[in-house]
Amino acid sequence: MSPAQTATLAADSITLAHRQFTVAENLSVTLPTGKVTAIVGPNGCGKSTLLNGLARIHAPAKGSVLLDGKDIHRLPSKDVARKLALLPQDNTAPEGLTVADLVRFGRQPHQGWMKQWSNDDQQAFDHAVQAADVAGLAERALDTLSGGQRQRAWIAMAVAQQTPLLLLDEPTSALDLGHQIEVFELIRTLSGQGKTIAMVVHDLASACRYADHMVAMKAGKIIEEGTPAEIVSPELVQDLYGVSCDLIQDPATGSPLLVNVRRNSNFSAA
Amino acid sequence: MPDKRTTLANSSLLVLLLLAVITSLSMGTVQVPPPDVLQALMGNADPMTAFVVNELRLSRVVAGLLSGAALAMAGCLMQTLARNRLATPGIIGIDNAATAFAVASVVGVGLSLAPSAMALAGAACATAIAFGLAGANGTRGYRFIVAGIGIGAIAGAVTQVMLSRVAIDAANAAYPWTVGSLNARSGNSVLVLAIGLAAGYAILMLISRALNTLQFSDAVAIALGTRLKATRILGLALSVLLTGLAVSVCGPVGLIALLAPELARTICRPGKVPLTASALAGATFMVAADLLGRTLFSPLEIPVGIITAIVGSPYLLWILLKPSRRSLT
Repeated sequence: MSPAQTATLAADSITLAHRQFTVAENLSVTLPTGKVTAIVGPNGCGKSTLLNGLARIHAPAKGSVLLDGKDIHRLPSKDVARKLALLPQDNTAPEGLTVADLVRFGRQPHQGWMKQWSNDDQQAFDHAVQAADVAGLAERALDTLSGGQRQRAWIAMAVAQQTPLLLLDEPTSALDLGHQIEVFELIRTLSGQGKTIAMVVHDLASACRYADHMVAMKAGKIIEEGTPAEIVSPELVQDLYGVSCDLIQDPATGSPLLVNVRRNSNFSAA
Repeated sequence: MPDKRTTLANSSLLVLLLLAVITSLSMGTVQVPPPDVLQALMGNADPMTAFVVNELRLSRVVAGLLSGAALAMAGCLMQTLARNRLATPGIIGIDNAATAFAVASVVGVGLSLAPSAMALAGAACATAIAFGLAGANGTRGYRFIVAGIGIGAIAGAVTQVMLSRVAIDAANAAYPWTVGSLNARSGNSVLVLAIGLAAGYAILMLISRALNTLQFSDAVAIALGTRLKATRILGLALSVLLTGLAVSVCGPVGLIALLAPELARTICRPGKVPLTASALAGATFMVAADLLGRTLFSPLEIPVGIITAIVGSPYLLWILLKPSRRSLT
């Protein structure tokens, strides 16, 4: 049950500011349809701000975010929520809320005060808990789950929204390796079902491994954009993070692999 | 989705409320056995019983019921908007400001001119000032609460100054306002409150889905399609309306707004803002507290605001001191 429609999301020369302080200026980006886009860059480069701008959480001071070619801030908020789901970084929930309760919230954009829980809602719910593999946890309270399980529950909520677009803000932060892989593979599966996905990723190696398209940001600007194989180079890594590295091709997947990462080029592992 | 736990909680509270109402109607200087109370309500009692129940006591119980429900619902709403359990209208200073305006009308003109309108004006002013002082964070965060506490203190002081500067008769007329009592209610205020409560409840039920999403972070609420600003402004306006109208009937019985939603949240299913349960619990608390105040040291009457303060303050301290991992703090 993949989303029936597709939708396009693009930023058209947007400037994002916190009060008077400009975080990112004149950004333009179009999410490739049906692909996974990773937004990478050092701390404070504005990558989360860009994602929040795309998700209409943060209104741009200049320029506009276009959902299917229309200014997202002028569209009815419920219509937008049927096309665009977001997994934000701050996801606190009321105490005692169960996984099932949380996932049901994902159906809210499809409901109204005249339109209560329907068969469609139930189907979307069942599909979401299965896709995110939380069906067995449905009646558990969120605060009793492990970090990985909780993150899957939140993803299930976003999946239940049945949107063609899904944005995730550091979906694997604070997760251990096993849980990270779990979440990234889930994201790949959702992409395989036709969703257009954008995520902020802290870890460049994971971005190389799991993204089709990469947007590299530094100091509020987009400095490179393309497939990981096209744009990731020792020079880019030096520019973004100030570290040296060598690149090889991952023998298993063909994606770029960072090796011998070090603070300066004189350091040798020997 | 059908929600058994909340339905059960609401029905239990409704039964408790009916018990409190019937007990209230039966007890007092003249005792009327509960069966006779029911007869009187249905119009089958002897004239004496009918007079005591329907004329003397019923209007007071209705006033308590409506004002308790309104204060509790306003409290639950404000807590949700501010995402803080301490952020009830009483603590934000809305009750005190409403009282100050109402007292001003009593001591200024000598009689209570349209207390509903005066109390509402006071409530609206206090909220607007607190909102303005809170800056960009709006109702979120501690600035709103701290600003509100300051405004409440000023409004309380202004009330005291007014009372100490006027003739003793005017001060006496205004006194029930300052402690919270169902003694001084006017029929008109109760009618206005009833209309406001019905309208407020209907609107809140219409926006209840949006209110539920406010329990998450702003980003989650927006992502779920909630019109954040519109929902907040409407919620805040309704909270002010309900508080102002309730204060015009019973005075500043602020602790109801703290106690009732707390109870409602404990017994209802998590994830939904328990507006109905809060209203029922608030109505029950108010009617029960007024009953205690009337009968405990009869014929001496203790104002309902003092009863709720005696019961409520230790509870407030307990909330503040108990170790808690609730997300709403």
